[in-house]
Amino acid sequence: MSDDVKRSLQKIQAPDEIEAQRRAWALVRASFDAREPVSWQKRNRRPLLAVALAVLVLVAAFLSPPGRALVGSVRDVVTPDKHTPKPKPALTALPAGGSLLVNSGKGPWIVHPDGSKRLLGPYWEGAWSPNAEHVAVTRAHRLAALTPDGTIKWTLDRSNVLHGSRWSLEPPAECCRISYLNGGQLRVVAGDGTGDAPLRSAVGAAPPAWRPAVTRQLAFSTIDGRIELVDVDTTKTIWRTDPGDPPTDLVWSGDGQRLLALGERSLRVFDANGNKLWAIGMPTGPSGVVFVRKSHRFILIRYSPATQRSDLVLFQAETTPGEPRFLYSAPGDFGTLAISQNGEWLLVGWINANQWLFLRLTSAKVMAVSNISEQFGAPPNAASEKAFPSSVSWCCPASP
Amino acid sequence: MVGPGRQERSWIRGARAGSVSDLEALFREHWPRAHRAAYLVVQDAAAAEDIAQEAFLSALHNLDRFDRRRPFGPWLHRIVVNRAIDWSRARALRRELAEAPGSEDFDTGDLGMFSEGVAAGLAALPPDQRAVIVLRYLLEYTPGEIADLLDLPRGTVNSRLRRGLDRLEAIVDREQR
Repeated sequence: MSDDVKRSLQKIQAPDEIEAQRRAWALVRASFDAREPVSWQKRNRRPLLAVALAVLVLVAAFLSPPGRALVGSVRDVVTPDKHTPKPKPALTALPAGGSLLVNSGKGPWIVHPDGSKRLLGPYWEGAWSPNAEHVAVTRAHRLAALTPDGTIKWTLDRSNVLHGSRWSLEPPAECCRISYLNGGQLRVVAGDGTGDAPLRSAVGAAPPAWRPAVTRQLAFSTIDGRIELVDVDTTKTIWRTDPGDPPTDLVWSGDGQRLLALGERSLRVFDANGNKLWAIGMPTGPSGVVFVRKSHRFILIRYSPATQRSDLVLFQAETTPGEPRFLYSAPGDFGTLAISQNGEWLLVGWINANQWLFLRLTSAKVMAVSNISEQFGAPPNAASEKAFPSSVSWCCPASP
Repeated sequence: MVGPGRQERSWIRGARAGSVSDLEALFREHWPRAHRAAYLVVQDAAAAEDIAQEAFLSALHNLDRFDRRRPFGPWLHRIVVNRAIDWSRARALRRELAEAPGSEDFDTGDLGMFSEGVAAGLAALPPDQRAVIVLRYLLEYTPGEIADLLDLPRGTVNSRLRRGLDRLEAIVDREQR
């Protein structure tokens, strides 16, 4: 019997084995290209350091109650499933101050440092102006500028559905312009609602991204997945990349020297001249990414369909991604990321658990708040993915 | 488990140093069996591909920490089979919660009656038994090696093998009648 079983098992093939192997090799190759080889010294130093650190931690743990607490907190970060922090039932304060702009199915909300909230109105999405003095909101064919208390400053209407509005990042004296998408047309309007004009047509769906630290330069995607940087004053193209996976989001580093293009199944990293530094394929595209403040390192959400877990992974936007560092992991989907203005806290939207996690990046501290969908206007028992806020930005966006 | 051959040690050394050709040799040597093992345990083509891909990526990310004196295959198979078991258990749980219909059938093609019976029988086994059958008869590990890979007592491995084979035999007999 056992020989027959062996022969039978060796005959059974997975469907599409050759294509699966081809796809897997492409992914492994891309990941390998993005990997930084480790020197012999570093490779062999790490186990010794790990042993030494482990001994120190154990000694500390056995010697003192604070030591035991340290062991606990390290373990929390490594195995969060077993020790997810007990969530608070409501958001009562933001750990690093500032304000949040939260886009939910009910509309955009402002969350103040003490946790109090204001719904700006029945708009589909909103975006901060620099220093959070205004919010640009869109709904169907309408773009409007509001103050954070919901007062409408101006509106304009266009022929197509509007989305992806973003404020430019000039200093307050020159401030500001708003880029937005009118269907597949990219347009720019002054911050006071005047001078609305088209800039490009047939653009991709990713919201265009103003380049920080350099005024009047705007990155956008084309429908074939190229990224283009344009000078908004002269309307001239500064650079344009090769085609690629059409991006869903474009994210600049705070100094405007690196640009990330997030696609459905990939991430591409560019330098300030539009040169591709590296790219990586993924089973599903990252649903969120943030740059660590004053750095070219960034944190992205990586979802694994096989294990149905989401990881927060730290890479660097340099010529290589560096060795990926896993910061946190939990079952289900992480839907959004936002970083506090002081760079110390990371907000992670954990959709399946209907929670926000606040991770302190400088220590192992994690705080959780539950009932997020309900706190932003979703009816109880609404389907989690649709009811959960789709994006969050933490006041204020990177300024020049 | 026997140690790795000189060729495999050379591939690992080359891949660590950045050689794509050595990485590709390592991949081509190990992918087919890892992928097939995942498929036989999870019985879902897309999940098997994801599991085998992620096992390779995980192995790749940890290549610099890998002990070259040990064989690469068991290291990879440990990741693949454990993830496949976890995935199968999670799917079974979701099915219980959703009251969804039973497992998908294997894409058996034209295997002959006995092999079709084995495929059907394997699908009827719990994931734990499926995993030890696959490790024993596809990947050809000894029961002791399987115990090491799955962190199980050897007696548990033997009993799962015995029970799995008995059930397979009963199903194959029924299918052939």
